[in-house]
Formats: sequence, C-alpha cells, structure tokens
Amino acid sequence: MSSRIRAEKEQSPVPPPSLITCLPYDIIVDIIARVPIYYYPKISLVSKSFRSIVASRELYTSRSLLGRTEHCLYAVLYNYNTDDYHLSILRREVNNNNRLVIILTLPCMPCSVSYVPVGSKIYAVGSSSSLSIDCRSHKVQSNSSIPKYMYEKVPGIINGKIYLIGDDKESHSRKRVMVLDIETQMTIKPDLELDQFWYDAVVMEDKIYMRHSMKSFVYVPKESKWESDEMLNSKRLGKCVTIRVYDPKQRCWRVVKGLKNSLPKRRHTVWSTMVGYDEKLAMFFQIYNSNVDEDVEISTWCAEISLERRQGGEIWGKVLWYDDVFDDGCSFMVTCLAVAV
Amino acid sequence: MSKSEKKIVLKSLDNEAFEVEKAVALQSQTIWVMCEDKCVGNEIPLENVTGQILAKVIDYCKKHAVVDGDGDESSEELKNWDTEFTKNMDQSTLFNMILAANYLNIKSLLNLTCQAVADKTKTIDEFHTFLNIENNFTPEEEAQICQENLWAFDD
Repeated sequence: MSSRIRAEKEQSPVPPPSLITCLPYDIIVDIIARVPIYYYPKISLVSKSFRSIVASRELYTSRSLLGRTEHCLYAVLYNYNTDDYHLSILRREVNNNNRLVIILTLPCMPCSVSYVPVGSKIYAVGSSSSLSIDCRSHKVQSNSSIPKYMYEKVPGIINGKIYLIGDDKESHSRKRVMVLDIETQMTIKPDLELDQFWYDAVVMEDKIYMRHSMKSFVYVPKESKWESDEMLNSKRLGKCVTIRVYDPKQRCWRVVKGLKNSLPKRRHTVWSTMVGYDEKLAMFFQIYNSNVDEDVEISTWCAEISLERRQGGEIWGKVLWYDDVFDDGCSFMVTCLAVAV
Repeated sequence: MSKSEKKIVLKSLDNEAFEVEKAVALQSQTIWVMCEDKCVGNEIPLENVTGQILAKVIDYCKKHAVVDGDGDESSEELKNWDTEFTKNMDQSTLFNMILAANYLNIKSLLNLTCQAVADKTKTIDEFHTFLNIENNFTPEEEAQICQENLWAFDD
C-alpha cells in the first residue's frame, strides 16, 4: 500500500506543496477528529506530524467537543486449546464486513478478572491482578493499588467510582460492595452486606440493580440505601431471540418490537451476551458446529441492533447487520464491552 | 435605513468587489467586528481571500441568510444544498474555503468544509493523494507503526 505511494512519488520528484500544511494546527486536528476512529491507524501512517496528532490528547478533546466520541466494541475471548484470554476489537469495515480481531500487541488477559469500561479505558480487576487498558493506544497499565479480592462482579461505574462486588474478607458466605475511586485509586468500603445468592448486577441511571434468586434489589449510592424492586425479577431471562428491556423509570419490562424473524433462528446457539451503547445493542452469539470428524467447532456471530423509543414507551429494534465475526473454532466469548473513544 | 446602509462592498485580495446585503456579510464574525468598530467605511478589504473563493463564500452566506430570514426552506433542504455545495469542490478550493471560513470566522462554513475534507479522506491512499502529504517515515518506522496497529491492518 504505502510502497506503491512511495513509488508514485519517485516518478514525480517535485510534488507541489501541500495546502493542508497551510492550515492552522487546530483545524487539522478538527478535520481528523471528524474521521471515524477506525481510520486512525491508517492516518498514523500518513506522516510523522499526523502520527503525533493521532497520539495527542487534544484530538480526543476535539472529538468530544464535536460530539464525535464513538463506541468501539471489544470482546474477551478464551481459547480452550491454549488456555489464554485475549482482548479483541470489532474491526469495522465497509459493507459491514466486520470482524473480531485479537489485539496481539496486548499481553494475554489474566484469568478470574471482571471487566468494566471507564471512559476510554477498560479496567480488568481480579483476585490475582488488576490492570487497565487504554483503548486509544492499546497500551496496558498495571493497577497494583487495587486490593486483590475476588471480585465476582463489576456492575459498572457511577460518578467516577467503580462498584465491585466480592467476598467479605471475614466471611466468605457474605458478599460486600467495594467502591474504587478511579482518580485516587483508593478503595472505599461502604458498609454493605449482600446475601450470597444473586445472579447479576448492572448499573442503570446511577443505581445498581441486582437480580436475586427470589427478589431483586436496587442500591442508590447517592443516598446509600437499598430498595427492593420486585418487577425486575418478574421475567426469567431465557435463551431466546426475544429481547426485553427493563425500564427503570416505569419499573417494567418491555419486549423490543420489530425483531421478529429478523434474527435468523439457529440451532446450537449456546451462549449470547450483549452490550448497549449509543441507542444500539450489540449481541454476540456463539454457535456450535460439528464437523465431519465430529469435532465441535465454535463460531462467534454478532448482530448490531438500533433501538428507538416510540410514543407510548414502546421500544422498536432494527437489525443493522448480522454476521459471523470470529471463527477460530476454539474460543469462547467471556464478555463484550463498549468503550467510548 | 437608506439603501446604502443595507448594502456593503467586500473587496477581495485580487481587487474584485462584491456588493452584498449587510445581513449576508454579517454572518462573518470578522466583518461584524469590523463594522462594529466603524474603522471601515462601506467597503471592506479582505486581504486573505481571492475573488474566486469570496464568490463561493458569498453564495454560502446568501443561502444561509435567506433560510435564517424567512424560514422558507426546511433544514433538510439546506443540508442537501450544503452537501451539493462541497461535493464537487477540488482539494485546492476546499482548503482555500477552510482558510477563508477561518479568517472570516464563519463557524458553520468552517464546520461544513472541515467535514467535507474528513469525508473525502478515509483511506490511506486518499490521505496521501488528497492531502498531498509526503510520507516521511523510513520503511522501518512504517513497519513499526503497522506492527503496533496490527489489528487494523492484518487480513
């Protein structure tokens, strides 16, 4: 690609001066900020000055001011042949021929960690190690100050603080909520004890929603108080193509309409995980296929769905694309994340 | 208000004079400040803009002044007009329009032209040819950048 450009250049030894170099620096930054983030590795190859702009802070400030911050999709994959965890990124291509690509410049991810996106970084916190990955540069940083408890769940971030749920140090039959302040890297331990039987925890509208086997809870950090939310538990989340959305304001579940028959029904779909961002939803499915030797091979599919709230609160979805994104045959998907860059 | 007060003359770098409605010209913050300061008469010299570019800038301002004034056209139509306006501009015109919009301080035109450049440069070939920038990397440096961004380049 670039060698061809170089060859062309050699044929015309005196190129006319480039007009872009006449533009003020902040305008060049403004132009690059408007280009989708997926082109940035290519822009780095244009020239030394462009490479330094792509690596600069002001470019991302400019993206944010222009409202051009985008969500990149990441997935953690576990390869059962090598016993390694890898971070991968969904590489966007024209015609939505998108692929999950393992970021080989990153080290393998530690096992038994939970992942949470914080700004343009991914925090991986766990019992043996904690680290953060800068999604602008794909550089890793170890966070030794995070206490190494067994965090089973990291529901998310509220007001610059990560909420982690892990074992109580004294009693393993109890769970505790830990709070990690991103700026100071200090943990604050709110006096919260949880019953150990709970399924999942998510953050919605600055509250932590926790699904319990019998009933569900909502924790409001601002007021340091627990509330019960019976409606959250009213739907069992089965493995089916129906997508339900929980409306925390109206405390009800809504089926996402308009998706009937738009996602192909596949046999042997074993696992799906999803992530929401920018009024969209990315769903990853894993499909088991048996080959002629009866070996089982796993392929990973992704569907990107746009969501729209219509009058009366109905939520309608539209499948933007649906495709096979990764098929090394031996990788399980651990989790997927949407990171704002 | 007399007729002369409503009109203003803009003079380009190459001495081309354009008589325009004041409302059209005042979309430029630079011209607005000049008029406010009363340091100029009815004729405003614009030493950084050629006649060819100034004519296009005036076209843009006229279109946007009309729409802002009577609200006849929908924002959809205006958006389509903007797209058509920059669609066939060559590299040199586009960059000169950016420089003019920056100098004249017309925020919406600067946005439009910067976006047009961003839209036209999405492949590395386009970047090199459209922006006409010399690749000043050694083959080793180039290989290193490709290596750092392997996920974006491998096929």
